[in-house]
Amino acid sequence: MLISCSSYGQLDSIQLIPEVDILDTRNSLFWSLRDWDYISTEKIQELQPLDAADIIQKFAGTSIKSYGGLGGLKTVSVHGLGTNHSAIVVDGQSLVNSQSGQVNLGQLSGDNLTSVETSSGRQKLHTIPVSAQIAGNSIVLNTFENSFSKSGFQLRSSFKYGSYNHQSAYVGLKYTNANWLFSGMGTFRRADGNYDYSVQNGFQTLEGKRHNNDFLNYSFGGTIGRQGERTRFRAGYRQSETDQGLPGAVLLYNQTQNERLRTGNKTAFADFYYRNDPWIIRAYANGRHNNVRYADPDYLNAAGELIVDYLNRSISGGVVVQFYPMWDKLHFYGGVEQVVSDLHVSDTTFALPVRFHNYGILGVEYFVKKFILKAHISEQYVSERNNNGVNAQDRFRINPYASIEYDDDRKWKHMLWYRNSFRMPSFNELYYNNIGNNNLVPEDAHQLNYGLVLTAYNRTKFNARLRSNVYINFIENKIIAIPTKNLFVWSMQNIGKARVYGFETMLNLEAKFNKGWKMSIDANYSYQRSLDYTGKDSPTYKHQIAYIPLHTANFDVSVYYKKTGLRISNYFTSLRYSLNENVEQNEVEAFLITDLSIFHRFVVKEKHAISVQFLVKNVFDQSYAYIRSFVMPGRNYLISLSYAFN
Amino acid sequence: MPCEDTSALSNGMVVLCEGLFQQNNSSISFIDFNNGAVDNSFFANRVGRQLGDTGNDMQKYGGKIYVVVNISSTIEVLDASTFTSIEQISMINGGTSKQPRSLYFHNGNVYVTCYDGFVDVIDTTSLNVIQRIAVGTNPEGLTVSGNKLYVSNSGGLNAPVMDSTVSVIDLTTHQEIQKITVGLNPGPMITDQAGDVYVIARGNYSSIPSRMVRIDATTDQVAEQFSFDASGVTHFNNKFLVSYYDYSTSQNTVGLFDPANEVMENPSFMGLADVTTLYNVQYNVGRDQIFVSDAMNFTNTGYVRVYSNAGVYSHSYHVGLNPSKMVFYD
Repeated sequence: MLISCSSYGQLDSIQLIPEVDILDTRNSLFWSLRDWDYISTEKIQELQPLDAADIIQKFAGTSIKSYGGLGGLKTVSVHGLGTNHSAIVVDGQSLVNSQSGQVNLGQLSGDNLTSVETSSGRQKLHTIPVSAQIAGNSIVLNTFENSFSKSGFQLRSSFKYGSYNHQSAYVGLKYTNANWLFSGMGTFRRADGNYDYSVQNGFQTLEGKRHNNDFLNYSFGGTIGRQGERTRFRAGYRQSETDQGLPGAVLLYNQTQNERLRTGNKTAFADFYYRNDPWIIRAYANGRHNNVRYADPDYLNAAGELIVDYLNRSISGGVVVQFYPMWDKLHFYGGVEQVVSDLHVSDTTFALPVRFHNYGILGVEYFVKKFILKAHISEQYVSERNNNGVNAQDRFRINPYASIEYDDDRKWKHMLWYRNSFRMPSFNELYYNNIGNNNLVPEDAHQLNYGLVLTAYNRTKFNARLRSNVYINFIENKIIAIPTKNLFVWSMQNIGKARVYGFETMLNLEAKFNKGWKMSIDANYSYQRSLDYTGKDSPTYKHQIAYIPLHTANFDVSVYYKKTGLRISNYFTSLRYSLNENVEQNEVEAFLITDLSIFHRFVVKEKHAISVQFLVKNVFDQSYAYIRSFVMPGRNYLISLSYAFN
Repeated sequence: MPCEDTSALSNGMVVLCEGLFQQNNSSISFIDFNNGAVDNSFFANRVGRQLGDTGNDMQKYGGKIYVVVNISSTIEVLDASTFTSIEQISMINGGTSKQPRSLYFHNGNVYVTCYDGFVDVIDTTSLNVIQRIAVGTNPEGLTVSGNKLYVSNSGGLNAPVMDSTVSVIDLTTHQEIQKITVGLNPGPMITDQAGDVYVIARGNYSSIPSRMVRIDATTDQVAEQFSFDASGVTHFNNKFLVSYYDYSTSQNTVGLFDPANEVMENPSFMGLADVTTLYNVQYNVGRDQIFVSDAMNFTNTGYVRVYSNAGVYSHSYHVGLNPSKMVFYD
């Protein structure tokens, strides 16, 4: 399953691997990858994700918060740590949003993703940015346009049409030869988003149609790359523009929301990769320009409307180095990164913050017999200036990481690791009018994890892999909002404490039968007891934290016959609480959602591949919500046509 | 199926629990004084549906109870005896929520402040909105003295440039006749037996403190600004209970104010050691007890705490999220 079997998926999947893990040649490729949380191009195509969140929720230990609709806000929490502890890396560059500290996964299109992998704290990747290596956890996404491939032209395209007038188109074109890479891409996505819903209102059932949920997005970009025997250089540009309605909660008796959000993202990036044994060096840099316009035409102030413009910019640059003085015994890795970001808000009472964030890491990996011992320390220095008021104090932190792994090179792998990390308060948390608190200190996380991998079979026709983790996470100085001036004015405080006791298990099976039949099963189950330890006298002491489900599970089965396949995908989440108090009135119901996908690939001559896919989402038309009162769509359909030229 | 229980209510109280914004979890609890039982789904059980998002006011007039639901933008009209629904008035104007806030009853009408800058006049017989009276920005509290309605214009949604005025409305013509400048961010209002009007100007929650101001209703001029902190005020026989919750120190105080002599008789009239976050105070004449709603940390379910007429704590009832207004059944 890891070494993807699809006609063109394989190239992109394997393409990724040399960049991130070529160094681990001590083991075969398969063995070195068997403990990864990784989703390949082929699986991504079967899932037909509307966005990155649709894929990420397939990983055990992740909790997605979705406010519904195409392009709607979706964030991820991994192992009960807050969203701001997750680093999101696209094509080797960290996405930075210092304003909210969160990345909206709903705005990351799934069309051109070739792989997605997560690290819930046990970091294996040392070529990704330092900021991501030392975050609480990381999610790494790679795209078609940014990878060197076999020589010649390659084209990827897809056209989708679905319920609620969802239309999308994607074209990616790439030319690679021995030295050069040229690629360009464009996407267009729109939807009316006016889906029907029904919610239980006491003894009544309330039927309605989602209003002000339209979405329009286009994006484009390109990459130029050059590679030599020891070097690889890439530079690129991406731009994305979105205009969307904000439907808000399904408020009882009142559906008058007309708020809108316009988002523009421009990113320029470059990276340089150099390998000359025993050295590997990667330098990377990017600049981001993110503007957001929030408009509420019905706001009841004197002007009769509220329009606020936010401009969040950042420049990042860093170098990561790996050094292998003894190939079989000893590896060193290290790096430095500097990020400068600022925020301008049209509301003149808002702060004008600038943040200088410096990251450093130094680590060692030692192989002795079947053990791998690994440790690193990281430093972060954060300095802020506020040109319109008081700024937060400078922060300096040192955080350790240590792991011990045992690998019998055959069946078993044991991993025990500890990670200490923190996340900075965002600009909103520090400076937002009335709400912000510039005395906030970073939110600390301690993660202790034991993991086990069992590879039961690894044969050409059948392979099976079982992975499990048990973990304990401690979160201190948790940043939470409490009312500090009146009920409508909440402020951020460092008063929270939480503990997460978790267990997860993942099973991957793949079987090939005679006469072109093949089957795969990807299943996982995750238990997260995520408890509020803020105060012994609090009514919520040891209650399950809001929106962290105790149980989540995925069960996906794919059956293939030659070029035709069927995938049944099930996602379950147990009941959650909308507030930390675990009482009946805060319950948000459990749900089990089943998606069905049927696909067929035509290979026209050798180089042309056409695939058609029909997808039924929420087959059993469940009424469900991730977030209280943000009702998700019922049964809906998507038809997709893809064409690839290799 | 709605619950069949429509038995007449007695010897108890209903408590409006505001809930939290965008959570649709406003609720009404019933406390049965006979046995101390609390039904926190009382509205849903009696009416058969949920109350909606962010209840802000609840009062009884004649045989009906009126509940203002701010974000759902409705006024629920209920039979006071059985707590069954008579009408749900939608407070939406041309596709925009009026966001109703507070109620005041006078001469068969209910006057409703609406955050869109109007006071709606609803005939309590026909339950129709018969007039919209333009006032200042984001009107909040209201009270009557003589033949005039006083409305505090908070301008809360225009922060940091909030309003500072009270609109004076002629109850015959239903027209605004004057605006009185009283201090920043005016909110709760009350009238004393002599006809003086009091309003709490809540300041800016930082440098400008929250203070009570007296308006002389004969001259419609500000007569006095008091020097004690105040965030709420309610009748207590012929006196006032002035309450204050200090968000920065988490201190609760309820003082005894004599409006006849305009003096704070006892700034610490009640012993509030059992209260975490004082959210509302009401006195019930029939039981001769003071009822305090405790919002805890605003995200946990709250309590109604019962005190003697001397301000001595007696007992508590565990109710819903952010309890505020109360209506009593003898």
